[in-house]
Amino acid sequence: MNEFFHMGGYARFVWPAYALTLAIGVLNIVWARRALARACEEARRRVPIRGARP
Amino acid sequence: MSTPALHAARLVLMRDLRLAVRQRGQFVQPLAFFAIVTMLFPLSISPELARLREIAAGVLWVAALLASLLALEFLFRDDAHDGTLEQYALSGQSLTWLVFAKTTAHWLLTGVPLALMAPLAGVSLGVPYAALPGIIAPIALGTLVLSLIGAIGAALTLGVRRSGVLLTLLTLPLAMPVLIFGAQATDLAIRGVSFAAPLYLLSAMAVLGVTLAPLAAAAAVRISLE
Amino acid sequence: MTWTWFHRLASPPHVYALATRLTPWVAWPAAVLILAGLYGGLVLAPPDYQQGDGFRIIYVHASSGWMSLMVYVTMATSAAVGLIWRMKIAHAVAASCAPIGASFTLAALVTGSLWGRPMWGTYWEWDPRLTSELILLFLYLGYMALRSAIDEVHRADRASALLAVVGVVNVPIIHYSVLWWNSLHQAPSVMKLAKPEMPPAMLLPLLLMLAGFTLFFLSLLLVRLRGEILRRERSASWIREALAG
Repeated sequence: MNEFFHMGGYARFVWPAYALTLAIGVLNIVWARRALARACEEARRRVPIRGARP
Repeated sequence: MSTPALHAARLVLMRDLRLAVRQRGQFVQPLAFFAIVTMLFPLSISPELARLREIAAGVLWVAALLASLLALEFLFRDDAHDGTLEQYALSGQSLTWLVFAKTTAHWLLTGVPLALMAPLAGVSLGVPYAALPGIIAPIALGTLVLSLIGAIGAALTLGVRRSGVLLTLLTLPLAMPVLIFGAQATDLAIRGVSFAAPLYLLSAMAVLGVTLAPLAAAAAVRISLE
Repeated sequence: MTWTWFHRLASPPHVYALATRLTPWVAWPAAVLILAGLYGGLVLAPPDYQQGDGFRIIYVHASSGWMSLMVYVTMATSAAVGLIWRMKIAHAVAASCAPIGASFTLAALVTGSLWGRPMWGTYWEWDPRLTSELILLFLYLGYMALRSAIDEVHRADRASALLAVVGVVNVPIIHYSVLWWNSLHQAPSVMKLAKPEMPPAMLLPLLLMLAGFTLFFLSLLLVRLRGEILRRERSASWIREALAG
């Protein structure tokens, strides 16, 4: 197990690389979902509610 | 009665040149900027000519690049403002040729003077006289490519507020190969070595730019005028 | 063969519904493939005889690099489709691609830097591949900056589409730079049509990762696409039903 984390001495390069990529992956998921939520919000406000006729 | 595209292009070119003569101040700005920027390096790094000579190629090219970007802002600005650009687009003439004419005028008014002024700056940075052709030719070609590529960015950002920084951001990535090979050519010239290879590459970029960039710039103008 | 399926792709409500339904079908396989690739690459694959365990960065670095290029090509292609055939959907796709591509280009640059330090002694070199990948990042950022600077959505679509198409010339430069110039970055080891140089135990997890990341991109694209479609459909009646559901 320890050998795994040690990565043959390269641990301080390998693990930050993986951590960063994971972080960017998660960021993309959060970002995309938030963008969709915001677009739904705006669309709800733009489109007249059911029954209300100008 | 229709005018052949080349004739219309020549008319636009002459118009731009004539207008520039009346607004000389505008075209002095990039040159002054270039002079000031190149002056900053001996002041901030070292007055020793030997040391300055090492970085002279980079300094000259970065200053020329920034001065050209500064000048790009008024490529389309006035014509877009008073509706002339719209008239060009509606005229039924080939907008590509008209844009090419404007870009050529722009280069003759900014790029060529820069290329002619650069040797002075170069000498102040310790560049040997024998290397001066290695400054003039690459910068002349490089600024041509910059005007061509920059026209695309300038057209895309017409009427956008605070477009200066955006224009820089859009044009620089596309202009980096010009900087890389241009600076390489000047550097080789300063070392007294043949700079033919990068000069050929710059020429190739110029040919590519002349054939393709005006098309893209004309399309960009139409998009911005919609 | 009927072309109705293609024509329906131009219809925003249809694409919106399709994107909503497809997302889980793409997202879950992506997760499985990536996890399998990670296990194969981090645990099962033997250490490299030259680079030891350090070579394992390839699984995130090559994946990020692949993403940065593939996403740009997708963005430029849909931009071109949008410009030529004037399909709003295509512009919506292009807009969705940019943030994804930009972030993975950053990942590629940083993971590459972390790989470079122990292997070649330097965090950064101005060699052609690294320089052109950096240029790619600026192209993405410029695209996003142009979009946000133009208020009117349709003009923003067309202007940024033109920019994307002009910038696509950078992609083959990035890809072939390692062949055209002999410099720091290593030569291609996966894309060679002759026998690949990597042993299967190392190659297979990499292929799994590349496939997984591709599906991951698709799932992100589908989510963002829905939002972009909504932004381009002003007060259309189908939106009411779509949002109520």
